Amino acid sequence: MNIERQYELVYIAGPDSSEAEIADLHTQVEQIAARFNGRIEKTENWGKRKLAYEIGRHREGVYVLEHLYGTGEMTKELDRRLKVSDVVIRHLIVRIDEDLEVATRATTRRKEESVRRRVARGLPPEPDPSERRGGDDDMDGDGGMEDMR
Amino acid sequence: MSEERGGRGGGRGRDKKDDKGKGEGRRTFSRRRRVCKFCAEKIDYINYKDVRQLAGFIPERGKLQPRRISGACATHQRKLQTAIARARQLALIPYVTD
Repeated sequence: MNIERQYELVYIAGPDSSEAEIADLHTQVEQIAARFNGRIEKTENWGKRKLAYEIGRHREGVYVLEHLYGTGEMTKELDRRLKVSDVVIRHLIVRIDEDLEVATRATTRRKEESVRRRVARGLPPEPDPSERRGGDDDMDGDGGMEDMR
Repeated sequence: MSEERGGRGGGRGRDKKDDKGKGEGRRTFSRRRRVCKFCAEKIDYINYKDVRQLAGFIPERGKLQPRRISGACATHQRKLQTAIARARQLALIPYVTD
């Protein structure tokens, strides 16, 4: 039951929340993660954004994105705490390891297929940068992941 | 180009009427083959945070587009749906606009 998985957590704090409050939220998330042997890999603060619709009485919100590793128990606790929080007006936790894996598999499969076809046609396995739009695609399918996030 | 083709198509229609019964079977009509945009651009992961990418699939009203309009293949339409649902929850894109 305690398999470590990869999650993404996005929470929206109210527009009038201070820097300190947001930093405080971050440490709270970090603490909860640590309690369940999880960790935060990366944090992105998107800053204040306009909401597409009103939440409560707010029209703007401060978006924060956290890349997390941890167990399902951890997300449960995070979910509970964020729901209770007054500062956070909306949050979303999404498990992404499966999706990313599917995406990587699709990418590698496509690349292998392209290599196979190119070899069958008597071309070098790697297309020239001039032939392809992206140009810098690498074979291991690892470097491409950054773009997909 | 398209006008020319249209003209020819009309001509063929007349031909067909003229030599009806001669066995000039079905008219060949070329429909442009539609390819799923995500397949064409080799996008494997539709990101719910990328509003600009999703924006192309959100019509005025903010409703989901059916596949015949969005042109996405089954796999990608499904992924697109989830991505849009998530983005909506985060108020990145609206549920409804009026």
